[in-house]
Order: sequence, then structure tokens, then C-alpha cells
Amino acid sequence: MTDFTQIDAMPPARRSWPRIRPARGLGFTLLALLALCAVAGPDLVGQDPAKQSLLEARQPPSADNLLGTDHLGRDMAARLLSGAQLSLSLAVLSVLTAGLPGTLLGIVAAWYGGWTDRVLTSFADAVLALPGLLLVLMLAAISPGSWWALYAGISLTLWVEYFRYTRQRARIVMAEPAVEASRLLGLTPGLIIRRHLVPEIGPGLLTIAAFGAATAVTAVAALGFVSVGVRPPTAEWGVMMTELLPYWREAPFLILQPVACLVITVLALHLSVGGMRRP
Amino acid sequence: MTLSDAPSIAVDALSVFFGATRLLGPVSFRVAAGETLVIMGETGAGKSLTAQAILGTLPKELRAEGKVTINGRQVDTLSPTDRSALWGRDIATLPQEPWLALDPLMQAGRQVAEAHRYVAGLPPEGARNACVRDFETLGLVGAERRLPGALSGGMAQRVAFAAATAGRAPILLADEPTKGLDAERHARVVGLLTQVPKDGGALLVITHEAAVARALGGNIIVLRDGRVIEQGQTDQILAKPQEPYTQDLLAADPQAWPRSGTAPDGAVVLTAEGLAVTRGDRVLIEGFDLSLRAGERVAVTGPSGVGKTTLLDTLAGLIAPARGNVQRAKSLGRHAVQKLYQDPPAAFPPHVPLEQSLRDVARLHGVTWDRVTEYLIALNLLPDLLERRPDAVSGGELQRISVARALTVGPVVLLADEPTSRLDPITQRQTLELLAGITEAKGISIVLVTHHAAIAENWAHQSIELKSAT
Amino acid sequence: MTAARPFLAALAQRGLQALIVAVIVGIVSFAMMQALPGDAAYRIAAGRYGYDMMDAAAAEAVRLELGLDRHWSVQLFAWLGALAQFDLGRSLVYGSPVVDEIAVQLGYSLLLAAGAVITSLLIAVPVGVAAGMKPGGVVDRVTLALSVFVRAIPAFALGVVLVLAFAVQLKLFPVAGFRGPEHLVLPSLTLGLGLAAVSNRVVRDAVVDAMAAEWQLFARTKGLSARFTVLRHVLRNASLPVVTYVGVQMAYLIEGVVIVETVFAWPGIGHALVHAIFARDIAMVQGTALTLGLIYVALNLAIDLACRGIDPRTRSA
Repeated sequence: MTDFTQIDAMPPARRSWPRIRPARGLGFTLLALLALCAVAGPDLVGQDPAKQSLLEARQPPSADNLLGTDHLGRDMAARLLSGAQLSLSLAVLSVLTAGLPGTLLGIVAAWYGGWTDRVLTSFADAVLALPGLLLVLMLAAISPGSWWALYAGISLTLWVEYFRYTRQRARIVMAEPAVEASRLLGLTPGLIIRRHLVPEIGPGLLTIAAFGAATAVTAVAALGFVSVGVRPPTAEWGVMMTELLPYWREAPFLILQPVACLVITVLALHLSVGGMRRP
Repeated sequence: MTLSDAPSIAVDALSVFFGATRLLGPVSFRVAAGETLVIMGETGAGKSLTAQAILGTLPKELRAEGKVTINGRQVDTLSPTDRSALWGRDIATLPQEPWLALDPLMQAGRQVAEAHRYVAGLPPEGARNACVRDFETLGLVGAERRLPGALSGGMAQRVAFAAATAGRAPILLADEPTKGLDAERHARVVGLLTQVPKDGGALLVITHEAAVARALGGNIIVLRDGRVIEQGQTDQILAKPQEPYTQDLLAADPQAWPRSGTAPDGAVVLTAEGLAVTRGDRVLIEGFDLSLRAGERVAVTGPSGVGKTTLLDTLAGLIAPARGNVQRAKSLGRHAVQKLYQDPPAAFPPHVPLEQSLRDVARLHGVTWDRVTEYLIALNLLPDLLERRPDAVSGGELQRISVARALTVGPVVLLADEPTSRLDPITQRQTLELLAGITEAKGISIVLVTHHAAIAENWAHQSIELKSAT
Repeated sequence: MTAARPFLAALAQRGLQALIVAVIVGIVSFAMMQALPGDAAYRIAAGRYGYDMMDAAAAEAVRLELGLDRHWSVQLFAWLGALAQFDLGRSLVYGSPVVDEIAVQLGYSLLLAAGAVITSLLIAVPVGVAAGMKPGGVVDRVTLALSVFVRAIPAFALGVVLVLAFAVQLKLFPVAGFRGPEHLVLPSLTLGLGLAAVSNRVVRDAVVDAMAAEWQLFARTKGLSARFTVLRHVLRNASLPVVTYVGVQMAYLIEGVVIVETVFAWPGIGHALVHAIFARDIAMVQGTALTLGLIYVALNLAIDLACRGIDPRTRSA
């Protein structure tokens, strides 16, 4: 049997993106560290993120205050850890609440088609009529400073992506001869979804989840930064940036700390799924 | 360059390497003005590598050795830029996939006219006129302003022909020019090609079809795994092949197959009466009747787009008939009708090992794994293959695995949609022979859709030719 | 890829989107109003007539007219009715009509948006083409790493970093506000870099795909030169996914305008929106959010039309 040596079918030059596998490992490592920080929280440094001490304001790093103190003398490390707790828990929760229904509804829309599909798609389109952050901003403004309003707004905008991706992939998969063959062969719907659909959409959903978590973290910080999200004195990275911006000249290392935390978190999430997402 | 310069292409000990591995060669030949050379072989024989090595379009990781002379000029030593200056002017190339070879955003006429204008160097007016003449000669009038997406496969092939030859290169290189064309379009392209040597050009054609070689004549090289198996005059080699491989290859041409015997006189398992097949508002097939007996092989032929696949889906019960009805014998169970597909990899879940796919089916139908293994062995398959995923086995093997999978549910009728059209000739013959053998032994009936008149004629008991309803 | 569809259908689809934007903004603004503590009639009267012209009688008139004592669903209907008549009311803070405020801010926001898109294309196109011509090469790898890194920096954080670096440390550009063209540089760069971080990879992919396409090779083998093939065939085909993607980026652009305007105290609509939310100036929130939403729809329509211009397939269908 010689028809296995496919010389003629050899691909021309590689067209895939240059791989950054080590970067993926770096992403996972950073994510693991961040998760550890978020779980342990301020206990990790044994300081109270809310305790003020005006006499010790804007201190450089020391043995007591590993990353120094802010303008009210609060421990920076404890506040950053507390911020990590808030951002990451909200990111994980909103990814779950957006991802599960989004994916399931996507499968439902593709499987049943017809009116079910039309209604669900119209709903998704309505959410997409406005840029996501604008919608989050307005929803958060109904109940200012509320963690729940933020969470609801972010989940509401994020589910659409899972829905659209799953629906589109599922429609393609369902139309393939392979699924028709499986149906003729008597495979049950559950088995068809497991064998045909899940392996097909799994990696894509993981990518959406990582990027969605990054979007959630960014949105919380952005809203905090423009003073319509979580309110002071809560330790949140965006709020901390606003608070510390006036002191950039005296203590530039303070404002750069929450910026660095934010960038590292987003970068870790992006890198863990390969760095760049094919649009 | 004019024709009086005695066009020719000479290849001396040409080889292609991937690292230290020789993929092709050594190959030597010469095609002079008015001559034809056919390079014949199966997938992986190195046919396309030969074309790429002559043109200088080999992928970066491959390396060519040997001497290539085009119109008296040694070209293998030239820089890539100097080499590409020969394209269109000294040597023209017909693409394998004409649809993909045309710019999807540019009107067909402009793609031909730009070659007249910028390759042949005609003034704008002259280029437009030359393009109009080309479209008249090739029967493409009215297609000038169409985009490639709105052309049929045959039309796209002719537009590509006009664009490729507009630069008046005296040598034409055609890589699988008849791939995927139905009988009528096939004949038309072969007609265009035979005209080239008659006009004083040199023609080099790469094909896997013996019928194309026969029609073109001239000289032939038979390639296998990158090595030359046999070389000489086409009519002599086709009439008296010396090498066993060439004999197999020629025997695999469906025209050379022995005719099948008479149909077994079994009970009727599936009937269709006055069936109509539509696509949108268009009626494709009218008044189709069929009475299929157990163990019978029926072939359905017809031109592309006539609705063969839709007819098959109607028989399978996947689509409700527009008019008429399909009736199964009362004894048939829910899974008694199974399908075989044109593109074997597309018929399996791509990320699941084959064994898993087959075990799923066996478990759902209460069939023991030993039974499935028996089918695999009967179909000349090694059970080890099943550890792989669908994309890691060859097309011929995968199609036989899909036969084994269908047999597992104990079917009465198999509906096969061009199951071997993507396979090489020898594999095609093996696959269809095994399929006929095992279904005959089990009394399973087959409806085979094919565009190959000879397969319908020789392999099936009964052949139905569909004609366009319009 | 833009589906082939008649021109009017494309227009109708964007019209419907604009309607949905108006309804969502209206409903959310209404909800915001309901969530406020205190007497709604007083606030609306103040919104309509300004604080100095407003008294208990005016509030009572509003209460009767809008039926604020009725069920909330009736009130919502009345609220949307006013919106349908393009009645955006008056700012609760400034007392001036919302429309007048927005008319001033709109120009600034559009200026910033245009500056951002132009900056992003000036960066993304050359970088993407250079990377795409040699996939896997040094330029490709370096720009990929840079893109991943820049993309991970949220717009406002990038703004803060740029302000610290260019305005404060190097004193090259002004920090905030708008008094001259030099004020446009940092906000445009902030947004433009964020857009370019992704779009340069889209340009790169489009170029790689076009250069690897069979029609590209056939254009060469039929005799056209490499340069001519790029100019006549590759650029047009490669620009289609890029323009389509610029359309996808419009959401990022509008979001970025809101945040970046706040960072740089840019006197545009986004800044006004954030300010209005903070001040609970609901008439302004509704007006600015509606305008931003409609700009988004208009930009999407412009991209639709641009795609139609490039792709003849959508016209002949």
C-alpha cells in the first residue's frame, strides 16, 4: 500500500503563527502564582489592607511593608492582594456564569434551529448592539459601587461570545457528513455531542474563557479607575490607580504597582492560551 | 519569443530532496516543438514535484538537483527572479484547481486581459480585443464580467487556460487538468490540450488517468514513489506495459475492468416511484423510478449538479421527496439503510480514534468486537490502524473502515456517494472489488453514485443515467 | 466575511441596531432614575426646566403629565416616548439642554476617534505587511511578542504609563485637556497602540493568506511580476479581512474613547458620560450613552459600505 506517502500533499511553507510554547508555560506559571495570591489574600503578608496610619504614608518598601505604604499609610502589598482577590473571584465567577449558559444555549440554537435559534440570536444581537464596556458601565451605574451590579453587567456581556462561537461551530459540525453518518448509524444525541462537538469546540471555548476573564479583570479596573465601579476604600487595582495618581512625582513606584498587577494578570491569562487569539 | 525558436524543454537527471531523502528522481526527458509528454502516476508518485522543480516553485524545505533547459537556456542555475521571468513568456502553467487559481475579486475578463496587456505587451485596446477573441474561441462569451465565484468548474478551467496562454509561451505545463471534471468537461479540456502540439507548441501533462494519456498520445513516463517505472511512447506502453506496476495501473482503469455478472434474483428491498428532486425552486430530477433487489448493485450517473447527491439523500430518507415516494420493505429496521461518503475523512469525527468510533457503533447495536474485527480482516485492514485518528490513515483504508462501520449495524441497503472518486486508480479498484465481494456475500444492495460511466457500466448490475430536467 | 446581501438590507439591519441601542439606553436610564433616592418628579422637572425655573407646582405638573403615581411600566412607556421624539431633556447639573452639551463634545470625541484609527493604521499596516511577507522571520516573531505584551495593557493603564513617560518625565507632550493639536498626540497614541496591537496581526495574517493563495501563484506563473501581482491582486484581497476587522474593533474604539477621555480629561462625550454617571445626571447619561451607541452603529455602517466597495461579490449578488 503506497498511497500513504503523501509527497504531493506536502504543505507549502508553514502558515501557522510562530509558536510560543514556552510563553504558554510562563502564562500557566503566572496564573498559578496569581491564584495562590488570590486564595491566600492579605493573610500572605499578615497586614490589614484597610488599616490607615497617616504618619507612615508613602513609605518605601521595608520589612514590615514589603511594597511600601500608600498615601494613607495602608500596606500596599496587602491592598494589592486584596485587589487580586476581588478581581480574580469576579473574573472566575463571571466566566462561569457566562460560559455555561452561553455554551449550552449555543448548542440548543444550533441543534433545534428555527424559532428557538432566531429568538436566541436576536437576544445575543441586542446585547451586541452596544459596545460591551458601555453596557457594563450603564448597568453598573444603576446601582453605583455595587459588586453585584458589576458582576451581572460583565456576565451579561460575556455570555454572547460563548453563544455565538458555540452556535456557529455547532452549525458547521452538525451539517458535516460525519454527523449525518453517526445519526444513520444510530448514535444518540448525547453521544453525537460528546464525540463530534465537544472535541471541536473545547479548545476554542478555553480561549474565549481566558480572554473573557482578562476582559472582566480589565473592566473592573477600568470602572474603578473612572470612579463608577467599586468605591473607595475598597482595595481594587483601578481605584488604587486613581488614588495614587496624584502622588506620581513623590512616589512613582506606588502608582506603577497596581498597573503592573493588572498587566501581569491580563498577560498571564492571554499567554496561557497561546498569547494571541485569531480574530 | 516566437515559435520559430523551436520550443523545447529538456530535463536531465532531475531529483528532488527533502534533507537527505530523495523524493523524486532521477528523471530525464525532452519535449520538443509539436511533441507531447505525459507524466502518469498515483498520489505521492512525485508528479507535482516534477512540475514544481521545472518551474522553480518548490517549497523552501525541498531542494532540486539536475539540469533543466527551457527553450535552449539552462534555468536551474538562474536566480529566482530570473527564473520567474520565464513564466508566461517561455513556459505557461495550467493550474490544478482553476477556481482557486483565479483572483476571487476580479472579473474573469480582466484577469485574461491583464495577461495580454502586461505579459504579451499588447496596447490596452489590443489586450481587450485579444481577450474578447479568447472568450469567443473558448465558448465563454458573456462570462467576461463574471467573478470567478460565479463560474462553473469547467468555465473556470477555460478562463485559466486563456489567462495562462495569453503570454504566448510555446511550452504548456498542465498539472492534473481534468481533476474533478465530469465526462463532458473532461473531453473539452483534453480537446484544448491536444491542440497545443498541433499548433507547434510543446505539451507536458501530469495526470493519474490512463484515459487522458491515451487521448493525448506522444511519450509517457510512469512514476511511482518518485522513481521512473517505465518510459517510452504512450501508445506502445499503454498497449504492452512491461512493468507489473504499469500493468496494475492500467488494469485499474475502469474501462479495463471485467463486467459484472447478472444481478441476484432477490426480494425487493427498496422502491422509488415517480420521485422528483428539487433544489430551491428548481426541479432537478423528475419521475425517477427504482426497484432495488437484495444483493443488487445499481449505479446512478449524470453530469455535475444534476442532483445525484440529493437523490441519494432522498432514498436514505434524510430528505422528504418533493414528489413521489420511497418505500422500504417491511422487514427493514431503522438502521437498515446506510451511507458511504465521497470524502472518507469527513465521515468520521475527526478528533476521536477510529477504534472509539467503531466501538460506539458496536456497543449501540449489541455487536461483539470480534465480529467487527472479522469485517476488518475481510476488508484487508489491519486492526492496528484503528488506534489512529481519521486523518492519519490513507483515504483508501479509511473508506474500507467506513464500510466495516456500516456493516456493523447489519444494513440491507448501502447508498454510496462517489465513494472512490478521491482515491487513486489502483486503490479505487481494490476498494470497489472488496465492496462488491462482501456485499454480494451478505446479500446487501448498493446504490452507487458515480460520474464515471465505465464504473457504472462494468461494476454495477444495472446503470441509470440521469439527465438534467431543464 | 460580509455576507452577500442587498444594500437596503444592510441599511435596514443597522437601522434596527440603532433602534435597539435607543431602547436599551432608554430602559437602563429609566432604571437608573428609578433607583435614585428621593422624588422623581422634582428631578425630572429640574431636568426639563433647570433648577432656577423649577418649583413645587412644576414638579406637580410633571407628576400629573407623566403619571409618576402610576405603575412603573406606564412610566417606562412615557419615558421611551419622550426619547422617540428626540427629547433628551436638560442636564441636571448644568441646566442647559443635553443636545447643546453633546453638540460641543461630539466634535472632540470624533477627533480623538479619528486620531486613534489613523494612528493604529499607520502602525499596523507597515508592521503587519513586513511580518506577513516573511512568516516565521525575525520581524514576525518580534512583532508577535510586542503585540501580545501591548495587548495585555488596558487602555487606561497604557494612558497612565504614557503620561508618566512622555508628559511627566520627558515633558514632550501636554498631560491633559485640549488646547491645541499637541494635546491629541498622547490620547491618540494610547488608543491607537491598543488597536494596532491586534490589527497588525490581522494585517499579517491577511498578507500571509494572500501570498500563499493559489491565485497569487497563478498570477505569477501567468507572467505578472511579483511587484505587479502584489499591487494588483494581493493588496485588494488582503485589505478585505483587515477592513472587516477594523469594524470589529469599533467596539474597542468606543470603549477606549470613554476611558481614555477620562484619563486625559479630554472634553468629549465619553468623559461627559463618566462625569454624568458620577454626578447622577441621568439626562446627560442617557444623551451621551445614546450618542456613543449611535456613533458605534454609524461606524459599523461605514465599515459595511467600505467592504462593499472592496468586494464586488457583495454587489453582484
